[in-house]
Amino acid sequence: MTDDNQIISLIRENAERGFRLLMAKYKEPVYWHIRRLVVGHADAQDATQETFVRIFRSFSQYSGEGTFKSWIFRIATNEALRLLGRSQGKTTLTLDETAPAILTMKADDYFDYGDVEAVKLQKAILALPAKQQLAFNLRYYDDLSYKEISAVIGSTETSAKANYHFAKEKIIKYMNSNEI
Amino acid sequence: MEQNYDFNSVGKKMPYTVPDGFFDQLEEQVMNEVKAEPAKEKKPMKAVRIAIRTLLAVAACVALFLVVKKALPQGDDTITDDFTSVELAFNNLSTEDQDYLLEVYQEEAELIYDNDLNEWKNEESI
Repeated sequence: MTDDNQIISLIRENAERGFRLLMAKYKEPVYWHIRRLVVGHADAQDATQETFVRIFRSFSQYSGEGTFKSWIFRIATNEALRLLGRSQGKTTLTLDETAPAILTMKADDYFDYGDVEAVKLQKAILALPAKQQLAFNLRYYDDLSYKEISAVIGSTETSAKANYHFAKEKIIKYMNSNEI
Repeated sequence: MEQNYDFNSVGKKMPYTVPDGFFDQLEEQVMNEVKAEPAKEKKPMKAVRIAIRTLLAVAACVALFLVVKKALPQGDDTITDDFTSVELAFNNLSTEDQDYLLEVYQEEAELIYDNDLNEWKNEESI
């Protein structure tokens, strides 16, 4: 896997080649991150596309403060929240709200209902407030450090850690319940 | 009370799927979109834009004054009022010249109005 510093240097030398390298590394993690938040494939596709266009346009604004990965995930998160907010007639969804995305789960064509436990885990995650969802997803699926998570959700490292643990507790409770 | 749940039983599996070849298509769509973007023209700073607009307005007035002055009857001492003299001079112009002057003046006015409107819209959208 290409190192982020190599990607950054290459984008500065040759924007198109560097950006292709960036997409090769991040298109799947970014798509899945957004998909876990918005649930529907079509919405995730739109938000992912918009995320990469924004990354391309605002690359010069990346100051090097915080990791490149957390900067990318922050843009992706903002796009997902913007999309979820629009579906509720708002500009964006705040991090303290619970996303209504769970409702679209049944309506999506690209969904495998066969793995009951995997479906239940996603339901447990989607029932959480956005900030807890993000803390859990970014740690569990994307292996971000608490410092990186705090950069994505705009909080302190301690708050990111607390949000992850609250989320984990609630998920464990849900997974051990009889709810399907 | 902390309960236990073995996350390894589900791991990172998700119930979400994507169409075949989706990620390759996604990359191409993004690359096409960013490549199709015209090189962004750097927006002049606000102070510079204001200066350009002011200059345009002054230029339009000066042009109007010079053309009208040229058309003024020379040595006519009876005309003392500036506005009356401009009006008289304008009336002395041919219809084509009058139309041309009005057209130029109108274009300048519209340009200034459009610039103001765009700036107002940009400020609203920030």
